[in-house]
Amino acid sequence: MKLLDLIKMSISNLWRRKLRTILTILGVIIGTASIVVMISLGIGLNKSMIDSVEESGGLTTINVSSGGGDTMYYGGGMAVSMDASASGSGSNEPVYLTDEVIEQLKQLPHVTVCSPVLSTSVLAKQGAYESWLQIQGMDLEVLDRMNLPLAEGTMPEPGSSELKFVFGNMVIQDFYNPKSNSGGYWQTGELPDVDLINQPLFLIFDTDAYYQSQDPQSGIAPPKKYIGQGIGLLEGGPEDWKQYSYSTYCDIEVLKTQLKKIFKGKVIPGQPTTSSGKPRKELVYNSAYVQIDEMDNVMDIQKQIQAMGLQAYSEVEWLEQAQKQYRSIQAVLGGIGAVSLFVAAIGIANTMMMSIYERTKEIGIIKVLGCNMNNIRTMFLMEAGFIGLIGGFLGNLLSLLISKIINYVVVAMQGADMAGTTSYIPPWLMLVSLVFAVLVGMLAGFFPALRAMKLSPLAAIRTE
Amino acid sequence: MAEEKEPVIQVKNLYKVYSVGENRVFALNGVDFTIYKGEFCSIVGTSGSGKSTLLNMLAGLEKPTKGEIIIGKQHIEKMTENQLVKFRRERVGFIFQSFNLLGTMNARENVALPLTFRGMAKKERLKRADKMLNLVGLNKHRTHKPTQMSGGQQQRVGVARALVVEPEIIFADEPTGNLDSHTSADVMNLMRDIVEREKLTLVMVTHDTHLAGFADRIFHISDGKILKIEDNRKHREEVEDEQV
Repeated sequence: MKLLDLIKMSISNLWRRKLRTILTILGVIIGTASIVVMISLGIGLNKSMIDSVEESGGLTTINVSSGGGDTMYYGGGMAVSMDASASGSGSNEPVYLTDEVIEQLKQLPHVTVCSPVLSTSVLAKQGAYESWLQIQGMDLEVLDRMNLPLAEGTMPEPGSSELKFVFGNMVIQDFYNPKSNSGGYWQTGELPDVDLINQPLFLIFDTDAYYQSQDPQSGIAPPKKYIGQGIGLLEGGPEDWKQYSYSTYCDIEVLKTQLKKIFKGKVIPGQPTTSSGKPRKELVYNSAYVQIDEMDNVMDIQKQIQAMGLQAYSEVEWLEQAQKQYRSIQAVLGGIGAVSLFVAAIGIANTMMMSIYERTKEIGIIKVLGCNMNNIRTMFLMEAGFIGLIGGFLGNLLSLLISKIINYVVVAMQGADMAGTTSYIPPWLMLVSLVFAVLVGMLAGFFPALRAMKLSPLAAIRTE
Repeated sequence: MAEEKEPVIQVKNLYKVYSVGENRVFALNGVDFTIYKGEFCSIVGTSGSGKSTLLNMLAGLEKPTKGEIIIGKQHIEKMTENQLVKFRRERVGFIFQSFNLLGTMNARENVALPLTFRGMAKKERLKRADKMLNLVGLNKHRTHKPTQMSGGQQQRVGVARALVVEPEIIFADEPTGNLDSHTSADVMNLMRDIVEREKLTLVMVTHDTHLAGFADRIFHISDGKILKIEDNRKHREEVEDEQV
C-alpha cells in the first residue's frame, strides 16, 4: 500500500469520528502544554541566572590569585602544617603572580586574554572629604574588553604617565567628612559634595606614614600627596549595584611605575616580602583576570591553573552548582507536566481501542481483500501518531501563549527588570515536545494497533 | 471433456475439527474434490453442514486440521498469515453475503479498494473501478455511498470489487442471501455471464438448491462430507432450451 493512501485513510478515519478525535487531541494539547510550560519555567529561571551572571562579568572569566595566599594573611594552623609537610627546606613559599607566571597563564590553551590586576588602597582627599579608594590597575586592553559602560568622561588612553582613574558609580558614597559627626552617606542619605571628574583628588599612598604623622609627637613628616585625575565615571545611579560599582580603575603600567617611585627601597603595602622582610625584586600582582574562549573550557582551565599552585575562581563553578539545583526543580516541574501527558496517552489508547471495536468489521474486510497486516498496524499507529502530532502542535501554540501571559503577569507584578525571563521556550523544547507527543501517541496506539493487526478476518466479517 | 481441463483447486482428504468443551466436532470429515479452470461450482448444504468452513479454508481464512489444499500449485495450508494475505490480494476475489462495502466510501472507491492494497496509483485504480462498474451496469451510481443504493446494487458493487483485481478464483459466500428472489436471479445471471466471459473460476456457497442450479457443478455437502457431485451443465442447457 502506498504511504500516501495510508495517510489519507488514517486521516479520513480520524475525521469520521470528529468529536472523539477532537476530545482526545484536547487531552494531548493540555498534556503537551503543561510539560512545555513547566519546563519553560525552569529554563527561564536558568536563563535569567546565566544572563545576570554574564552581565556581571561574564562566564568566561577566571579570577586567579596567588597560591597559598590564605595562609599568608590568616596565618596559623595552615601555615604550620604546610611548613611541616614541606620539610623545612624553605621552598614552601606560595606561588606568586609575577610577570613570569602571567606569561605562563597566557600560554595555556583557550586563554584569550590574561591581565594582571594590581590593587592597592589609597587615601583620597578632596576638600573636607576623604575616602579609601580601592585602586585596581589593569591592562588597558583588558579594561576595554570588559566593556564597562561609561556615564561620562573617557577611558584611560595608553601612553600617559599620569594616574587617570575611572570610578564606579558608588565610589562617591564612600567619601565622608572626618571632622563632622553626621556620618557618611549611609547614615544621612546625602551624597557628599565631591566632584570626582572635574576636581583633582589628593592621594596618599604611604598611609602608615600618614597616620603616624597625625600624631604630633611622632615627629614623622607627613608623606607626599599625589594628584590623581578622574577622567571617567561608570554608569548607574547611587543605588544600582553592579560588579564594578565600588571599583576604581587605572592603567596598571602607570600604577606600577608610580608605586615603584613612591616606595623606592621600601616594601609596598600589600606586597609579600622575602623571608628576611626585604622587598622582593619584582612586583606580585594581587590577582589576574583570565578570559577563556568558551564557557565549556572554563572548568578545565580553572583546574589547570589550580594545578599550578594558584588559586582560581570562576562564576562557572558557582553556576554549575546552581544549575544542578535548577535541574532538579525543572525535573519536578516537568514531572508534574508529564502526568497530564500520561493521562492524555491513556486517552489516546482508549480512543484507539474504541475505534478498533467499532471498526472490527471494516478491518476484517480489508484483511480479506488483501490488506497487508503491516499496513493495518501502520494505519492505526498513524492515527494515534496524528493525534499526538496535532495535539503536540496545538499544545506548543498554547504554551507559547501561556508563556507570554506568565511573563506579562510577572513583569506587571515585579517591574521591568524581570522582563521575558520567567518563562522561556527555546525552539529545541518545541521540537522535542512535538516529537515526544507523537511518540507518546504512537506508543499509546501500539497495542491497539497490534490488536487490530491480529484480528481474525473471519471473526471480523461475522460481526454485524 | 475433463481430460483437457486444468485443475485450479485440489482438495485432498481435508479435515477440520473443532473442540467444543470435551466433544470433538468434525466440521469437515475427509473431503476430496478438484475444481477446474473456468468452472462455476456451487457448494450446497444445510447450515452446519460445513460448507462455509470449507469455503473459508479454500480462501485461506481458516487453517485445516488435516489435509491438503492446492491452489494453482501452491499449498494453502502451509502458508503463513502474511503469505495468505498476499495470496488473497493477488489471486482471489470475494463476494460476501452482507456485501461488506465500506460505508464511508462511494461505489468507485469501494471497488478500487483492493487495488489500493496493491499500491496502485489512484488514477489507474479509479479507471479500472469505473470499467468494472460499467460491466455490472452501475456507471450511473459511481459516486453513491452504499447506503444510497439498493441491496441488489450493493451486491453488484461487491461483484465489481471482486472482479477488479482480475482474480483467478472468485469465492462467493451466500452472495444472494440478503436479496429478494428477483434480484437474486439478476445477480446470479450477472455472475454467471461474467465468469463465462472472463473464463474465471467461481466457487459459491449456498443453502438454496435453486440458486445452486445456476452452477456448472453442484457439490452436495452434509455433516462435513461430500454426498455427491452433480454435473449440472446438461440440465441447465435443457432448462435454457425450454425458456427459449
